[in-house]
Amino acid sequence: MKKEKLKRWLAAGLVAAMTMTCLAGCGGGSSTDGDNGDSGEGGADGDGQVLKVAALESAYGADMWTEVAAAFEETHEGVKVEVTTDKKIEDKITPAMKSGDYPDVVHCATGRDAALTETLTKEKGLACLDEVLDMTIPGEDVTVKDKILPGFLDTLGTMPYNDGKTYYAPMFYSPCGLFYNAGLLKEKKWEVPTTWEEMWELGDKAKEEGIALFTYPTTGYFDAFTYALLESSGGADFYNKCMTYEDGIWESDEATAVFELIGKLAEYVEPTTVGNANDEGFTKNQQLILDNKAIFCPNGTWLPGEMADAPRAEGFEWGFTAVPAVAAGEKPSSFTFFEQLWVPAEAKNQELAMEWVAFMYSDKAAEIFANAGAVQPINGISEKLSDENKLYYQIYDNDAAVAVMGGFAATEPVEGVSMADSLFKAVDSIVSGDKTVEEWQTGVEETSDKLRDAM
Amino acid sequence: MKSKRGKNGFIAVCILPSVILFIIFMLIPTVNVFKMSMYKWGGFSNNKTFVGMNNFKILFQDDKFYRSFQNSILLIVLVTIVTMAFALIFAAILSREKIKGQNFFRIIFYIPNILSVVVISAIFSAIYDPNQGLLNSILSVFRAKDAAPILWLGNQRLVVYSLVIAMVWQAIGYYMVMYMASMAGVPESLYESANLEGAGKIYQFFHITLPLIWTNVRTTLTFFIISTINLSFLFVQAMTSGKPDGASEVFLSYMYGQAYTNSSYGYGMAIGVVVFLFSFGLAGLVNLVTKREPLEF
Repeated sequence: MKKEKLKRWLAAGLVAAMTMTCLAGCGGGSSTDGDNGDSGEGGADGDGQVLKVAALESAYGADMWTEVAAAFEETHEGVKVEVTTDKKIEDKITPAMKSGDYPDVVHCATGRDAALTETLTKEKGLACLDEVLDMTIPGEDVTVKDKILPGFLDTLGTMPYNDGKTYYAPMFYSPCGLFYNAGLLKEKKWEVPTTWEEMWELGDKAKEEGIALFTYPTTGYFDAFTYALLESSGGADFYNKCMTYEDGIWESDEATAVFELIGKLAEYVEPTTVGNANDEGFTKNQQLILDNKAIFCPNGTWLPGEMADAPRAEGFEWGFTAVPAVAAGEKPSSFTFFEQLWVPAEAKNQELAMEWVAFMYSDKAAEIFANAGAVQPINGISEKLSDENKLYYQIYDNDAAVAVMGGFAATEPVEGVSMADSLFKAVDSIVSGDKTVEEWQTGVEETSDKLRDAM
Repeated sequence: MKSKRGKNGFIAVCILPSVILFIIFMLIPTVNVFKMSMYKWGGFSNNKTFVGMNNFKILFQDDKFYRSFQNSILLIVLVTIVTMAFALIFAAILSREKIKGQNFFRIIFYIPNILSVVVISAIFSAIYDPNQGLLNSILSVFRAKDAAPILWLGNQRLVVYSLVIAMVWQAIGYYMVMYMASMAGVPESLYESANLEGAGKIYQFFHITLPLIWTNVRTTLTFFIISTINLSFLFVQAMTSGKPDGASEVFLSYMYGQAYTNSSYGYGMAIGVVVFLFSFGLAGLVNLVTKREPLEF
């Protein structure tokens, strides 16, 4: 009897132990991780300041971040930088962020699928970077504000709330425009069009030879393209009104001209483009340029690197031009894409984080980035560019093209409504003929109305 | 009396681990989804605003949601019917007929099931390629020389059917093996006597095989609903990303897009609640409709 009781208690004890270990195993994972990171590193260093940096591993690679971190540690004694890089950095850092463990600085551009930057912006979860602008760059005697190229700091791309306060630090800029095969145009003795009239003429000529005028990787690339068109259709003021959802702005003549232009361009799009315009097949659309099946493709300066190993037509040579102006007499324009670096409002080590942000604009850091192909928007950067890169970055030289910066203003999240869907994704429907230009335009104005209320 | 209480206590202790795990990993998250669907929340900050049923009100006026819902239902219905028909036919042939290389076919049919969805998506993207794709190359034999290529993933009226084909291809092997397993349990004597009575193969299939594996078919119907809902999300993510212009969006991909890309986590959870109720209801309905007196053999 007694023995049986003992057995029973033993069994119960084992079950309880199993439960405990199981639960401990499930729940403990993240907390032990954090402990290791903090105490381990802290103990090894003098004053034990640890800066946690999370950065997107983009086409430029991850190595430059570790190099920059090492350079930062050199200038800041006793500081240890922990760099986390990943191609999907959002997936890597959000679980910890949701439990309150935030990185101190995050490099992650807007416009990505997971929309981490946008979400934190909409939730007012960013620290204001105004004080960084007045900081002297570590190891140099110039302020951040004076070193960043003019124009970069007064756009919606750095001041998402349009309130004069900077929340994003501009990183790695890259002009977006139309890429083409310069070799093909030379061979056929075609001129690079500078107006849309010339563009349509070229389109008709090329059509006779079985070459389409235009293709696009996915509709996502229509953002930079449309921004450039809007600017050259109505000027800077008009552009800002569009980006801040002014009532009726999308039904104005200037906006109508842009919608109609893209509607006409849709007739010149290479016929298989829509079939591959998704994340799986977009390189096939880019390949059309290399194969001389289409002439122009809107893209950014990362394109040649992305297609470096792809087969190409004989005599192929990358060409790059700004987007011709919509309104007569205006200059061509090009949207300047840049990525964003920001400090979460919940970051523990904000002071050091600000130092890090300032350091990004030092000559030292810029050089490390430039070696990986990433170009910082600072004075004197043109001397650090490779010859190939100079081709792209010179399109603004001598006032040849207007630089357009900054996208749509941030709003509170509006359920089921987004400009990306209404304005850009809809281009697929225009090309395939599932929507008319009028329907498209009405849809954009409706979206703009809803977003304005949430500003 | 005392020993009975002891026994109950012992049982309680034994089931405690699974009850705790069930509560932590199933009940609490589910309750949370229901709770979050009544908040306006971006997913990170502490400012959650309670909005009651507002998310649902918006949802029922959201055309994009209706479109994704339609696509999901179309996928569930088509994938289930086509996969089930093929899987049953192949299973019947492979288990009842003597054909050469039976095991070979069994393996071939099962292979798609062990491939990851991403690999399958890559395969089908290659098949659907407008210029060099397998499908268009074959069809070009029957079509005029300068006919425009068919855009399997670019035509808004075709893209969902393109997904159906990929999903059916992926699922057939799994269900075929399941049906074969239960067909193996049907006694040979029944077929022998049916043969003696002069019943044909097709008659035997509908009057012996199908009724006797009916419980198995019913179970797989629930599997079909659950797996189509889940897999359609993965296929859409990997193959079309909802393009062109949202034409291939299914409700889970729309939910993901709203909860994350559009920073409307609460709204995403409202979609989650609808999906939850829908799949639960559908599974229940299918179970009810297909209820038969189980046949013994």
